[in-house]
Amino acid sequence: MRPLDWVVLSGTLAFIVLYGLYKGRGSNTISKYLLAGKTMPWYAMALSIMATQASAITFISTTGQGYVDGMRFVQFYFGLPIAMIVISSTSVRLFHRANVYTAYEYLEKRFDAKTRTLASIVFLMQRGLSVGVSLYAPAIVLSVILGWPDRLTTLGMGVLITIYTVTGGIKAVTWTDVQQMLIIFAGLFVAFFMIIHLLPPGISFTDAVYLAGAIGKLKAVDAKFDLANRYNLWSGLIGGTFLALSYFGCDQSQVQRYLTGKSIAQSKLSLLFTAMAKIPMQFFILFVGAMVFVFFIFVRPPLLFQPIAMRDLESSQVQPRYAPISAQFDRAFDERREAALGLVDARRAHDGGRRAQWLGQYRQAQARINQARAEGAGVVQQIHGEKEFNDTNYIFLSFVTRYLPAGVVGLVIAVIFAAAMSSSSGEVNSLATVTVIDIYRRHIRQDAPDRHYLWASRVSTAFWAAYAVFFAQYAKNLGSLVEAVNVVGSLFYGTLLGVFVLAFAFRRVTGTAAFIGMLAGESAILATALFTRITFLWFNVIGCAVVIVTGLLISWLRPVRQPVAA
Amino acid sequence: MINSTFMPTHRAEMPDEPPPILGSWSRIYVLVLVYLALLIALSYGFTRYFS
Repeated sequence: MRPLDWVVLSGTLAFIVLYGLYKGRGSNTISKYLLAGKTMPWYAMALSIMATQASAITFISTTGQGYVDGMRFVQFYFGLPIAMIVISSTSVRLFHRANVYTAYEYLEKRFDAKTRTLASIVFLMQRGLSVGVSLYAPAIVLSVILGWPDRLTTLGMGVLITIYTVTGGIKAVTWTDVQQMLIIFAGLFVAFFMIIHLLPPGISFTDAVYLAGAIGKLKAVDAKFDLANRYNLWSGLIGGTFLALSYFGCDQSQVQRYLTGKSIAQSKLSLLFTAMAKIPMQFFILFVGAMVFVFFIFVRPPLLFQPIAMRDLESSQVQPRYAPISAQFDRAFDERREAALGLVDARRAHDGGRRAQWLGQYRQAQARINQARAEGAGVVQQIHGEKEFNDTNYIFLSFVTRYLPAGVVGLVIAVIFAAAMSSSSGEVNSLATVTVIDIYRRHIRQDAPDRHYLWASRVSTAFWAAYAVFFAQYAKNLGSLVEAVNVVGSLFYGTLLGVFVLAFAFRRVTGTAAFIGMLAGESAILATALFTRITFLWFNVIGCAVVIVTGLLISWLRPVRQPVAA
Repeated sequence: MINSTFMPTHRAEMPDEPPPILGSWSRIYVLVLVYLALLIALSYGFTRYFS
């Protein structure tokens, strides 16, 4: 980080906080604090929805995923527009007309208090686990890349979030999300153009795209149906739809964004805009990752992108084992670069025979590079006694800090901070809302004045922000936490989705049937996770189906007499 | 007890206005679905063309 980077980073963060404080003025009633008085325009809600979903680790990981695995991750989002249509045509209208603060409050109006409370607790558990990781995951990457203490980074982000979230409530969160999303877009575009600019002389953008395609980095769609393959067209369309339905339709961190809309139409527009913008955005982020890969075909990358792992390998004790691996890597890198240049020449000459020959050589060289990286990772694993090593999250930031000019590095680091802060502030805000509305006001103190609940909401927001920072401080002791939290999240979403489908679509289902259905759905998901090899995207489908079938079955076995109309 | 007040057929004060373009929400939903189909087709074409 050079002085200009510090100026850009600190200026951006200061602007976000001050803007949040400015826009959050006047949040002096519970309705204004938790729902912005239902005054938000569609574009602010749309960008807030996207910012809340795009956590920093998603941003860092997605570019790394584009580098390692190509574009196929984009299929994960194919179900999102379908889900947004379903939500727009059902729950948006129902939530608005029920005049609720939370999605779970609706469940009591439709079913009973125990169903609402169970759904609230499921949300608090699931979102409570992920809120710390939203802060911790980027902090650990930044600390390794930049040498900053991770405790300081999490504490810094936590304090900044607390300032504007406690003061201005959801209005501050939404408007800062808008700024943060614009910063993320700006950072991405600048990084992309810098990558293209930094390609070696003689390699055009067209050559780079051709190379990325030829070596298999641009495979965006896999139409083969396979339950064990995490990302294909069908898992994206079916599993992705259910996941997006669960997240955008039942998770308070998203529902609360569109409950702030000044009208039902504005809320619908915000969701449909997100539906149309999300896939191109993810496609672009993955494409940036693929272009970083092409850049590193011509510029020697480190054997491993994790700087601490490289320091370990280069230390004097390990040097004798590292030297031959490094030499093999260097030779393979030279051969791969030569093959890539040969591929580009063959394309220009329209020579299919030479193209096939160079592609074969490229693949052999790439296999030797992969082998050298695996051997290097094996040495690091032996040093630390770890079972796994994965440096995907360090690829993009490693590129940024090594090759981008002063100012742009600060901007990209600001993007990471903005993404972490936008998702964390939304999560903290929604956790506080459910705590106050669904637990405190429902079960502890029911008839206090508005000012009391406003005060309780501020305290609850501060509590959840402090909890997020505290949890983030100790997250590193919990092993592969990001993966664990992803799995834990998918363990709960199907159940929440199932109970909302029962609420919206089946008139005769009773509260007790919905409650038992939730318990059955949760058991089915746990059994699937523990005893089968089915990937997590399908958990939502299974959990949702079991909740619906159980709820309908119990309602059929124990019918309740309809009240006679007067 | 079934609380039918909050079933999908419930009508409340808040109106559901038409969208700013195309006249009805159904048409907007069709537009989004066509857009999704186009994106998938383009992604598939992109995959085929570059591989």
